[in-house]
Amino acid sequence: MILPVLALFARRLLVAIPILLVVSALVFAVLRLLPVDPAAMSMPPNATKAEIEAKRQEMGLDRPLPEQYAIWLKATLRGDLGSSIHFRRGVAGLIRETLPATVELAALAMLVSAVLGFAGGLLLFHLRGTWRGELADLGSTALMSTPDFLWALMFILAFGVAWPILPFTGRLGASFARPMHTGFLLSDTLIEGRPDMFLDALAHMLLPAIALGLAFAVPIMRVLRSSLIEVDHADYIRQARLRGVSEWRILTRHSLKNAVLPTLTLMGVQFGFLFGGTLLVEVIFSYPGLGNLMVEAVRNADLPIIQAVALAYAAVVLVINMVVDGLYLVLDPRLRAS
Amino acid sequence: MRAGFAWLRSGRVVVGLAIVGLILVCAAFAPYLAPHDPEEQNLLAVLLPPAWSAAGDPTYLLGTDSLGRDVLSRLLYGARVAMTVAVVASLGAMLVGAVLAHLAGYFGGKVDWLIGRAVDVWMSFPPVVLSLVLMTGLGAGIRSVILAIVLVDWTRFCRVLRAEVLVTARQDYVAAARLVGFSHWRTLLREIVPATLPLLITLVSIEMGIAVIVEAVLSFVGMSVGANQSAWGQMIADARQSIYESAWNLMLPMLAIFITVLGFNLLGDGLRRSLDPRLLLAREA
Repeated sequence: MILPVLALFARRLLVAIPILLVVSALVFAVLRLLPVDPAAMSMPPNATKAEIEAKRQEMGLDRPLPEQYAIWLKATLRGDLGSSIHFRRGVAGLIRETLPATVELAALAMLVSAVLGFAGGLLLFHLRGTWRGELADLGSTALMSTPDFLWALMFILAFGVAWPILPFTGRLGASFARPMHTGFLLSDTLIEGRPDMFLDALAHMLLPAIALGLAFAVPIMRVLRSSLIEVDHADYIRQARLRGVSEWRILTRHSLKNAVLPTLTLMGVQFGFLFGGTLLVEVIFSYPGLGNLMVEAVRNADLPIIQAVALAYAAVVLVINMVVDGLYLVLDPRLRAS
Repeated sequence: MRAGFAWLRSGRVVVGLAIVGLILVCAAFAPYLAPHDPEEQNLLAVLLPPAWSAAGDPTYLLGTDSLGRDVLSRLLYGARVAMTVAVVASLGAMLVGAVLAHLAGYFGGKVDWLIGRAVDVWMSFPPVVLSLVLMTGLGAGIRSVILAIVLVDWTRFCRVLRAEVLVTARQDYVAAARLVGFSHWRTLLREIVPATLPLLITLVSIEMGIAVIVEAVLSFVGMSVGANQSAWGQMIADARQSIYESAWNLMLPMLAIFITVLGFNLLGDGLRRSLDPRLLLAREA
């Protein structure tokens, strides 16, 4: 069971490396379209032309584009992501601080969307063919039309303003000093042995995670429902029904196991998108993660950050796809045999 | 019983079309429908609630924003931006995605490999992140928004359509067309495109809803239209500053986005149900 999964990971890693290279080259090229001069931006406003020119040479901006890319790539492989023009500090450090926050939020949102997606899918399947089912189906179309940032704003209005029961800005209440161990707040607070702080951190993540999870649960619901219906027409299900096997047992023992596979494929793609969805939700909830860093960098045309953060997003998406594919392999014995 | 609720199914197309049509009319005739200039400020009447509430003013039907601008007029003008982006960007993304999908699915081999890898690269990029990077390079403005959506979302068409083309290209009638002496070009246009058209139309409808959302997102972070033009996302960003004083300001543009996207999704959903032969078979079984 473990060996084929490891083999898959190795294969996927071999594919991921060229993809990341192409991604980084694309981002590099697109950002050079920008009509701004990073050298002039990183200098104080009273710098002379000669000083800016010297800086340009130092940053390698006077050289042809492929050479600039080669310089950047070499530095990146050494772990040197350059330094931010706006924040005046190393990009690697900024990413180390913000990436765990985003990963934590995305993981909670994935949990929410998986639970809601499966529950909703089973409900839609259960109601199929009745007027309630048609209504629920229509409801799912309405849910589909509500993107994550609309949920986020609605939650702020409902649970932050009208009925203020949950916090909706930042990662932690102002009364707590932020512990630093792993960067993941949920585990850091537990390492410190502070359950009160853990709950506060969780409360801060609740609204953004549910807003994000809800938006991505709907496609999961719909695919689970249609694959359950498809499996329901299969001969082995009819046969089980003829043998008098109870509906519950048919669902848990037969249908679900087969219907879950297409759902899992979709979840792989969806979770990649979900990770990107954190960007906007973070902005709305002033949650200090990669997304806020990215938007801030875009506003300031802070190229080294944009470049590195874009790459970080792509890398995490590739990891998510890899994990989901591994899970697929574990769950589908037919794939392992071949 | 099923027949009694069949209208819910076929009704989707009608209701979807009605909503989309209504918003299109609002967008096209915004200058005639809007009671005020959307940029006209009235600092004596800021953050008014809609006319039907006790503190409302009948001259401002849906109230005013934090600068005293008429919300209804701004919503109507915002519809122009949303619908322009929805129509132009979706058709653009469709064109790029569909052409590549047909080339990949029909010719296979190296062409298919190359296009497939390009899709892989694009898919490893969250759409929001990619569009932000593109917007940084292209600069703010509605043209950049359209271009960014085309460059990000062509993969949505390419992935789904390629599989469809692959299946269609193996059909006997396609082989027959080639044997009769049809050129590749003619076979693609006459035999394959008609077969993939229903799926294409469905995808365009759904993509239009996505484009409305993306435009709202980009104008929310201030990268779409300029400050002297109103867009729904921008209205949301403004209203967020005065969330405690006026919830209406925030809810109205949110509602506009929701209804528009719902219209496109109902249309797409209805079309899919009435055009997809596999779903028709499943219903008969």
